[in-house]
Amino acid sequence: MIEKTTLILNGIVHTINEHAAEVSDTLVEHQAHGGFVSDTLKSLHDTAHAAVGHVVHGAEHAAHGAGHAPELPNWLELAKILFPGRLTEFLFAWHVVIFSAVVWLMLSFFCIIAYRKRSIYPGKLQNFIEWIVETLYNLIVGILGPSGAKYVPFLGTLFVYIFTMNVFGLFPGMFSSTSKLNTTLALAICVFCYVQFEGIRTNGLKGYILHLAGSPKSVVEWCLVPLNLPLHIIGELAKPISLSLRLFGNISGEDMLLAIFAGLGIASLAFINPPNWLPGLPLQFPFIFLALLTSFVQALVFTLLSSIYFSLMTHREEEHH
Amino acid sequence: MTVAVAALGSGLGLGKAVGSAMEAMARQPEAAGKIQTGMIIGAAFIEALTIYALVAVILLK
Repeated sequence: MIEKTTLILNGIVHTINEHAAEVSDTLVEHQAHGGFVSDTLKSLHDTAHAAVGHVVHGAEHAAHGAGHAPELPNWLELAKILFPGRLTEFLFAWHVVIFSAVVWLMLSFFCIIAYRKRSIYPGKLQNFIEWIVETLYNLIVGILGPSGAKYVPFLGTLFVYIFTMNVFGLFPGMFSSTSKLNTTLALAICVFCYVQFEGIRTNGLKGYILHLAGSPKSVVEWCLVPLNLPLHIIGELAKPISLSLRLFGNISGEDMLLAIFAGLGIASLAFINPPNWLPGLPLQFPFIFLALLTSFVQALVFTLLSSIYFSLMTHREEEHH
Repeated sequence: MTVAVAALGSGLGLGKAVGSAMEAMARQPEAAGKIQTGMIIGAAFIEALTIYALVAVILLK
């Protein structure tokens, strides 16, 4: 019974990965895919009693059996399935980059429009963007001191970009690029390189190495340099790793949560052989709010941590927050 | 099993952090905004450790 349910649920997760619930009526027309969906639903109708009880257990098995993290499909994946060909395969292979490009194009578009029509009496869009910029400015200057104002563009952009990318995946058919380690590692490496460069620029090369050795000022501290130096270097290397893994784990975990609960929603109505316009209950809806919260918090934490790394490296202001 | 143990640890840590944040907010209600901000950020850090465990499990499967 469990094996049959697992196989069926493997089919469900496979189906969810390859088809969206919204286009199920289109799929019925495409015979190969349509047959698979209706076969799956009929088999579910047969195993009604065990299905609901074992759904989550089976979904876990199916997820691990499938070999990769389950996630809801996006437009490029659908395009690859509905119109198989070299162009859609190429687009799907690059879907992480393409969705992140869509995000920054959208953001640039908004900002350019607000900039073109700026005036002393701001309109709604300009007011909104000014509110965002001022809040970020206060946040970052609060950590870095007044001399930190030159880092506000970089850190502010980090926040807005990461927040928009995280939230982007919650729209149906869209995908958040931060749910892949590629994007988050790239962002963390950017921050790492900029922080080290700023450290060398403000402290000088000798001061930078002394700072890494723990800024020894007395004989005792000089003796501890062979201990401090590797420790600090490992600490510096651990920073981008932790930044990227934290963001990646949180956002991909949210995506997986949504996908698994969407599967649960489909399985919950399976025993009554549902019509095509209602494949399942939207059980993942409350988790979208949780995903909004963690998207915001993770973007904020990324930005705050990056600004704290800047302040640790430059040590300019002695005011601690 | 790994993730369960990590979740236990983060549950304990978050409980202590949020508990002391609540206590601090009760002692000085006018600083409640700042304390709340600090609490959310601290919670994100503590949660990150559980997420590392989850990511390790997923990457190794």
